[in-house]
Parts: sequence; C-alpha cells; structure tokens
Amino acid sequence: MATELGSGGAAFQAADGTGVGIIVRDKADRELHTQDMTLNVGPQHPATHGVLRVLVTLDGEVIEDAQPVIGYMHRSFEKLAEYRDYRQIIALVNRHDWVSSICNELGVALVVERQMELEVPERATWIRMLMAEWTRVLNHLMFVGSYPLELGAITPMFYAFREREEIQALMEWITGGRLHLTYCRVGGLKQDLPRGAIQMSRDLVPRMRERLKEYEDLVLGNEIFAARTKGVGVLPADVACSYGVSGAALQAAGVPEDSRKTEPYLFYDQVEFDVPTGRNGDSFDRFAVLLARIKESLRIIEQVNERIPPGPVNVRLPKVVRAPEGHAYVRTEAPLGQLSYYMVSHGEKTPWRFKMRTPSFNNISSLPYLLKGTLLPDMIAVMGSIFFIVGDIDR
Amino acid sequence: MDADALRDHLVAELGDAVEPEVAYDTLTVTVAPEDWRRVAELARRGPEVACNFFDFLCGVDEEADGIGVVLHVYSTFHRHHLQVRTVVPRDGGHLPTLSDLWAGADWHERETAELFGVGFDGHPNLAKLLLSEEFEGHPLRKEFALLTREAKPWPGAKEPGE
Repeated sequence: MATELGSGGAAFQAADGTGVGIIVRDKADRELHTQDMTLNVGPQHPATHGVLRVLVTLDGEVIEDAQPVIGYMHRSFEKLAEYRDYRQIIALVNRHDWVSSICNELGVALVVERQMELEVPERATWIRMLMAEWTRVLNHLMFVGSYPLELGAITPMFYAFREREEIQALMEWITGGRLHLTYCRVGGLKQDLPRGAIQMSRDLVPRMRERLKEYEDLVLGNEIFAARTKGVGVLPADVACSYGVSGAALQAAGVPEDSRKTEPYLFYDQVEFDVPTGRNGDSFDRFAVLLARIKESLRIIEQVNERIPPGPVNVRLPKVVRAPEGHAYVRTEAPLGQLSYYMVSHGEKTPWRFKMRTPSFNNISSLPYLLKGTLLPDMIAVMGSIFFIVGDIDR
Repeated sequence: MDADALRDHLVAELGDAVEPEVAYDTLTVTVAPEDWRRVAELARRGPEVACNFFDFLCGVDEEADGIGVVLHVYSTFHRHHLQVRTVVPRDGGHLPTLSDLWAGADWHERETAELFGVGFDGHPNLAKLLLSEEFEGHPLRKEFALLTREAKPWPGAKEPGE
C-alpha cells in the first residue's frame, strides 16, 4: 500500500530501490509457502518518544509495509487556539514540541507581529535569537543522547544530559521555567536578561564545543554505530521534498534548505553560519548533520553574545491585542525542521483559524517509504534517526 | 522567482482561472474547485514554478461561503512560495486528491477530511488520521462547539471593563 501513496512523479519512482538497505525479494522462486505477519509496534514503545504506533507487515524479517498510527496525543491545539487570545496562544504552542518551546513561541510571536505590522525592539530580536539557538542545542542534545541509546549505547545519554543540565540552568535563570519557558511575547519578550546572563552564555559556548568532540569520537567514530546506521533508511532528496520532510533529515539528503539561511527572519542574515548537508541521506548522515547543526548553533550564539545592544525588550501594547483582518504565513526553522504557522484573522482578539504545520508531522509521514524493504531490526535505527516528538505530530 | 514575477507567470499560463494576491512576499491564488487539480499540476510540474516541497494543506471555515482549502507549496530550486486557495460547499464539498503530486499531501488531506468534512476524490486511503474511527463531526468547523467552553466560560477571556 505504501508504494501507492506517492507514486506520482517519475522521479519518485526512479529513486525507489536505490537504497543500500533495501532488499529486493522475488517470491516466485520460493519453495516454501510463506505468510505475511502483522506486528504492532507501540503505542508504548521506548523508541517512540511518546505514543506512536506503527503497524508493520512482515515477510520474514523484511518489512513489507509500515503504517504509522497517530493521534493518541491529539489535543486539537488548532481548535483551542481559536478560543484563546494571542498571549494565551504563546503558552499553548510551547507544548506541541516540548523540547523546543522557545522556537515554537517565536513562530507565533512572528506571525502575529507580521499581521499587526509591529516593529520589535532590536534587543528583543537578538535575545530571541540567543534563546532560540540555545533551545536548538538543547533539543539536538536530547536526540544525540537518545538515538544511540535506542541502538544500545547507553553512555551518550548521560553525557547529553550533563550538557543539557548546564544549558537548562541558564534558561531557567533567564526565564524562570525549565520546559515550557513562555518567554516570547507579541512585540518582544517577557522580561530582560538578568545581569550576567550573557557572560554565562559566553562561558558555556567553549565548554559545549569541547564536549562535542567527545560525541564525535564516541558515536560517529564508533564502528558498531556506523554499521547499524550507514546505508540504512535512505531518504533521497526528491522524496524528502515531496513529503515535506525538513530539518536534519532533508539536509542529510543533500538539500541545504534552512529558512534561517534561505529566507532569514530575526537577524539571521547578520550572523555567519553554514547549513550542514549530508551526501547519502541515510541514518548515519542524519545523525552527523544533527551534530553539525549544534556546532553551527554555537557559532551563532558566539556572535549573538557580542551583539546584543542595550534598549527596551518590549513594545507597549493595548490590553486587548487584535490582529487586523487578513491572513499571514510565517515559517521558521525549528530544531526538528520547518515549523510554519498560517493564521487567518477576522480582526478579533482570537484568531479565526490557526494552522500549525509542525515538522514532525511531515517527517514521520515518510515512514512508510523509509521502512519498506528494511529489516525489522533496522526499524528503530530508521525511526530514531527521523528525530521526532510525538506531541509535534499529534498536536 | 519573486512573488510578483510568479504571479505574472501564473496569470499568463492560466488566465482568468486564478485570482492572485501578494502579501508579505507570498503569492496566494484563489481558484475555482474545478481548476484545483490543473493549478496544482502546473505548480508541481511547470518548470518555472517547480514547487517540489510540500508545506501544508489545510481547511479554513468560511462560514456561509463554504469551506476554504489552502495548499502551500515551495520550490527548493527557485526558492519561492505558492499558496493556492479554493472554496468548496459545506455539504458534500470535495476536491481531486493531490497525493500523487506530493506524497506529503496524503496525510494533510486525511486531516482536512476528518477535521473539516471535505472529500478528496482518488485519495488512496481517506481514513481518519488523528481522530478515532468512531468520532462523529468535524471538530474544526465553527458549528462544532468546544465543549469545555460551553460548560464554563474561560476566565481569561474576560478583559477589564468587559
């Protein structure tokens, strides 16, 4: 069934079967009669980061078809957003991808500001960038730890959480929260940085950079890790685009698409950074790109630390914020990929329609393609390398 | 191609079938449901448009006008966005599927079908995606009331002087 899902474009079909991990089997010359088996993976599975269920049809050890069953955590954020004013929506959206709350809030603030044609103070914009990049590092470290764990390597998880704790301390000091930071506001930020926060951020960068080397040696240089991930779960660029896959998975396929670079928002056009890309689009590349993205984030943070000007961090807004009538679309590069918000306003204090296009939703919709033809033991290696959060899929 | 050039190109190709609007460097074209497929095919296969990246497809309740459907695609080659919008009737509104043009449209159409009650002809499997099979109604339509709010008004909705 999975092949029929997206068999339209000629390029799509040409790409099919090129992956190293795909085994082509001919049933006709088989002597023994075999029967397909349906295996239910999840919803409670340690490798699913929440509750994702995958219905797998197996022929021996080979996956014939894999259908993700989602919606276990669906809370209809889009409906709830229609009943909340713009300030409340910010507190709502930092819950869909719960490890990158600032990046989600940022998208909402930007889309409302665009609709209101609001000018945000420079200091606020720089601080937003600082916080968004630290959030990205936090998010990526989570997966740098958990992905090897899913493959059986326990140590990186401890390392990642040691690093995460230090960044968490900085974030907690600045915002007062650990998970749902709710730091962005329409028109700026909740509050200014505490004195010394920039210095702490400065001190953290070299420390993180030094430890990233440890990960490279520990994981990328590990032969077992390479054997489990190289050539496994190959996602070619054209298929990735057709599914709307973004973030590390798209970049690993060789497409340097990152809205911070291609359509800069905030002040991303004023800082230097590269968009890392992979060559093979396999699980190994996705992980390598993820590590490289942390390095680039640290590069951005280093520049932002020195560029935060003095000034206000907020604009005065009326008690009731109303976005003028019309529709606006903003896309940002969230840690997991492209996050876009599409808002339709009827000039009320709540949006008429608030569409969240979350990266994990599109990324995970490519699972049927990715898993078809792989071996069952590789399933976790493929799924883990897509880097998803179930709340981000189900919303 | 920038949004204005893309608009001119689409108008030259499709004529009166499209109603263009450019806002914040994003081109939105409004089309009739009959032209939905034709415009989408041009967006995907036309070499000048070549929107290969699927962003999203969603519904918007347009009340008396019907249910709006919005498609947003992007070209990684030309780096431009294209938003296509149409309106279908509230009862029995349906559109041809785009899941063979963009694989990502598969899930987005399933989502739009269950949340707004729009049909997609030719879709390989228009089963419920986020909701359970036995769920009745289309939650994102305006007539579908948010039950918690019906039972108790949200205290935050009250503003001083209201």
